[in-house]
Amino acid sequence: MRQDTALPQAQQRHRTSAREALEAGPGPHSPGFPPVRSLYIHIPFCFHKCHYCDFYSLVDTRDRQEPFTDRLIRELTALSPWAGRAPLETIFVGGGTPSLLRAEHWARLLDALARLFDLSTIRAGRGEFTVECNPETVTPELMDLLRKGGVDRVSIGAQSFQPGHLKTLERWHDPANVARALDLARTAGIPRQSIDLIFAIPGQTPEDWRRDLSAALDLGTEHLSCYSLTYEPGTAMTARLRRGEFTPAEEETELQMHEVALNLLRSRGLDRYEVSNFARPGAECRHNLAYWRQRDWLAAGPSASAHVAGHRWKNFPRLDDYLSHSDDGFAPITDHELPDAVRAVSERMMTGLRLREGLSSPSLLRDAEAARAGSSARLQAAAMRLAGEGTLHIDGPVWSLTDRGILLADAITVDLMAALDGPGR
Amino acid sequence: MPEPSSNPHALPRQFIRNFSIIAHIDHGKSTLADRLLQATNAVSAREAREQILDSMDIERERGITIKASAVTVFHHHKPGAKTDDLETDYEAPIDDSNPDLHRPAPGRKAAPEDHGDLHMLNFIDTPGHVDFNYEVSRALKACEGAILVVDATQGVQAQTLVNAYLAINENLHIIPVINKIDLPSARTDEVADEIEQTLGFTAEDCLLVSAKTGQGIKELLAAICEKFPAPRTQVVPQLRALIFDAVYDDYRGVIVYARVFDGKLKVGDKIRMMGIGRSFLVTEIGKMNPKPYRLPHGEIGPGETAYIVAAIRSLKDVRIGDTITLEQDPATEALPGYQPPRQMVFCDFYPATSEEGESTDFEDLRDAIEKLSLNDSSFTFAPVHSEALGFGFRCGFLGLLHMDIIQERLEREGGVEIIQTAPTVSYHVLVRGKDTVTGAGGQALRPVDPASPFRTNVPDHFQLLEVHNPADLPDMGHIEEIREPLCRVEIMTPKEYIGDIMKLCLDRRGTYKSQQFISASREMLQFEIPLAEIIYDFFDKMKGLTSGYGTMDYEVISYKPDNLIKLDILINGDPVEALATIVHRDKAEFRGRGLITRLKEQIPKHQFEIPLQAAIGGKVVARETIKAFRKNVLAKCYGGDVSRKRKLLEKQKEGKKRMKAVGSVTIPQEAFMAVLDQGD
Ligand SMILES: Nc1nc2c(ncn2[C@@H]2O[C@H](COP(=O)(O)OP(=O)(O)O)[C@@H](O)[C@H]2O)c(=O)[nH]1
Ligand code: SF4
Ligand SMILES: [Mg+2]
Repeated sequence: MRQDTALPQAQQRHRTSAREALEAGPGPHSPGFPPVRSLYIHIPFCFHKCHYCDFYSLVDTRDRQEPFTDRLIRELTALSPWAGRAPLETIFVGGGTPSLLRAEHWARLLDALARLFDLSTIRAGRGEFTVECNPETVTPELMDLLRKGGVDRVSIGAQSFQPGHLKTLERWHDPANVARALDLARTAGIPRQSIDLIFAIPGQTPEDWRRDLSAALDLGTEHLSCYSLTYEPGTAMTARLRRGEFTPAEEETELQMHEVALNLLRSRGLDRYEVSNFARPGAECRHNLAYWRQRDWLAAGPSASAHVAGHRWKNFPRLDDYLSHSDDGFAPITDHELPDAVRAVSERMMTGLRLREGLSSPSLLRDAEAARAGSSARLQAAAMRLAGEGTLHIDGPVWSLTDRGILLADAITVDLMAALDGPGR
Repeated sequence: MPEPSSNPHALPRQFIRNFSIIAHIDHGKSTLADRLLQATNAVSAREAREQILDSMDIERERGITIKASAVTVFHHHKPGAKTDDLETDYEAPIDDSNPDLHRPAPGRKAAPEDHGDLHMLNFIDTPGHVDFNYEVSRALKACEGAILVVDATQGVQAQTLVNAYLAINENLHIIPVINKIDLPSARTDEVADEIEQTLGFTAEDCLLVSAKTGQGIKELLAAICEKFPAPRTQVVPQLRALIFDAVYDDYRGVIVYARVFDGKLKVGDKIRMMGIGRSFLVTEIGKMNPKPYRLPHGEIGPGETAYIVAAIRSLKDVRIGDTITLEQDPATEALPGYQPPRQMVFCDFYPATSEEGESTDFEDLRDAIEKLSLNDSSFTFAPVHSEALGFGFRCGFLGLLHMDIIQERLEREGGVEIIQTAPTVSYHVLVRGKDTVTGAGGQALRPVDPASPFRTNVPDHFQLLEVHNPADLPDMGHIEEIREPLCRVEIMTPKEYIGDIMKLCLDRRGTYKSQQFISASREMLQFEIPLAEIIYDFFDKMKGLTSGYGTMDYEVISYKPDNLIKLDILINGDPVEALATIVHRDKAEFRGRGLITRLKEQIPKHQFEIPLQAAIGGKVVARETIKAFRKNVLAKCYGGDVSRKRKLLEKQKEGKKRMKAVGSVTIPQEAFMAVLDQGD
């Protein structure tokens, strides 16, 4: 989640709450309302701010874990009716560093989840409940607690196995602790695991990167997220780049690294199912797939984004605001977007093309045409052109990006969005 | 004869003075005009805003005057006095709302008559930039005198001399004024020496003034009355009035500024424009003070200037320099006229899309251009079509600054967004045979106006065509020669930069003509340089080389053949006409390389490699390649913050929509402008 501390004053004063966004859609008690099956929870604490990070996280010097957990539980209580009595399919607890939340608070949070939501599908192993963990903070007690609460997947932020590169990122952990964390999770009975890696770090060679990937594979992981380092505005890394403290990776090097990852991971049975995510078949992150497939999800915690019944919004990203503002438990929100047919089609293309599985074109074209007359033919023409250029694969009804195309996903989405709009709006 | 003070508008000829203020830019012409208005009580000090005569916003910002305005004020002067009392000493401020009050009110300290004879001063503020010299000269035709303002810190500059020569050519009496003497850095004595050295006025001739503090203004007013000659007596009984300016007013149509030389003109007269042959009924005659007011008796006689309203709908119905006479009792011979303004610099304007995604279409652009042409008859326009940029207009301007001003006014007043192509000069192309030759759009190329002084040396069986669009250039095989406008360029520079300036001028295909001593520290260089080289970044270069101290002026003096060729720019193999230029053969490679280097910076990477080439008649003289991009995707998807990501892509999409397509390559509209930044 992104940190948006620079919102204008006025917006801060006249903020709305998630209640308005939720109640604008069909109510949870109205007949035929499809219950929301996914939930994202944001834990904003970290013990140190990594230099590349632009997620909303803070180093909590005042120890607000207790009031935060209280507040979070109130929010979950307010949100729970939208899940109805139907079982949740996926929960993802991200951050920040969720594993930094102390066990006593985790215990209360997990209790609340069990009380407020139907976790039967997750407990039966047919859902997914992921918690992001920092390798340093994983303890047997915490893993045990999580397992008992229904957690069946951990995502470990390894980023690199080479201390030098970790230092460049201002990421402080001992690489050996990644293996330890995974062991502890496995021992506790948490069956699924993922490792996050970062590449295109200044000074990193394709060979370094290959070694990181091998190290991750050797730990037996079946899911890998490989993010190329991006320089987000407002981060320490970007400031250092501007000051010329280091040379960023060449585009050529970065491309080589993409190739190294694709080839190595494919040879070991992990395919790229999304721009930055690789998994053995069946081990994909179901929660993230829900985002990319345009499913609905509820969101709790500062800066968390939600999508319900075509509405999108984002919780206000400041812990202080989150703690001090509550509309019967609902959090203050920002960037509320109402359903809009053109936007929905744009987002479907944008998220769908990131996935190997691609888009189902008949329904896309139908919805596009309904949203903007004439757009179906324009989109088809654009797709044919892209296919001709070798970036889009048209397989019957399915449009998906080729290996070359997936690295151009943004440019291609922009092309298709322009085709959706048509000339001279 | 009525008492002068009871009807100031019936003053005898000997109490009328018509004069202009001329100066190098920023030497204080407008400020001095304000001070004179204030001193003659036309404007109270409270009311005096900065630079009253510069009325348009854009002028205020640029600090230059586009339209000459004629203003009338009244002033008492005792014959022989070297300094005058100011009306503010004895008069209450004039009430502008009532024209009948435009006469001296009963004195407080003494009766106005005690301060001398009432004089009517008609003065005309002239523009100070090279592009507008023709406006300066037409204003001067309506005057008997000129105040030549020289900045005491800057001294004599290029336009000081050029303007002074214009005034001398018109036989005007000149009062040299050294302005800004209040500044600590004023070098009054040295500047007086420079004026003597260059123009022959002695130090005693020069008045020392501060337009800022008002110092010397009383002396200047006395000198205006004392030294400037009264208007000449009439030589024919019939009305002959010279049109020296015309402006368009949304409510009253064209307002004509005229100077009466012979006869009388009054409201209700049916007038005839002798040159253009059209007649109009005069509905209003008035003056500017500086706000307009109707003349109480609706009549003006010999020696006076006034504005005239006569239900004239378009500036096209008026020709500056034309003579007004009466339909009933016409004069037989017109007053000596002027040369019509000549468009020397051309470029295309196409509709564009703003960063906010607001797009201008061709109709919007046409409306804006037509509207502006009502206000400024000295630029021309004709529709054009470009494959890359669609439908637009090819426009002609007096010079580069004029082009910038028009572009800015279109955007500001017309609310349109424009893509402008690189400027070209107007070439004369000599072709064999008399058959009609067509341009890129299939239109017949125009022969050079037979009245043009630049149409010389056209042998039998040849024709001389005007081409100002590289795309229109006929096949090289048919061309006997291409002639380009050649300028006389005067550059005033501190001595230490002479070497650099010489080199610049010679680099720009210049021919050295002469060198004139101005002062111990400065010289004036005279060169002949093709206009095409001057519009190419010359002014900025000259300023840069002289640390800002150099000044210049130029004037087209002739057309001269040279080894000129068309330089094509090819993007991905397709020639882009909007980027083509006409250049000298020896410079083609250099210019071509510069152009494609800048294009390379402007055109984003595509999914394929894009060759950029500069070519002469199919022969490539410079090339560059824009590599294909292979990655354009954001690594993370922000845990579901889809809106934010979508907005990013939408922004890119809008950016893309602002681009123009050349084959399969999309080019940002800025790229077409990039060719204008000629940083070499
Ligand atoms: N100190 C001082 N500044 C002056 C004087 N006259 C004009 N200026 C300043 O010189 C600049 C140019 O004056 P302006 O009247 O616009 O010059 P123009 O371009 O000749 O019309 C302005 O900033 C004026 O305020 C003067 O007598 N003394
Ligand atoms: S641990 Fe994660 S959320 Fe926290 S600062 Fe580092 S990268 Fe950001
Ligand atoms: Mg001025």
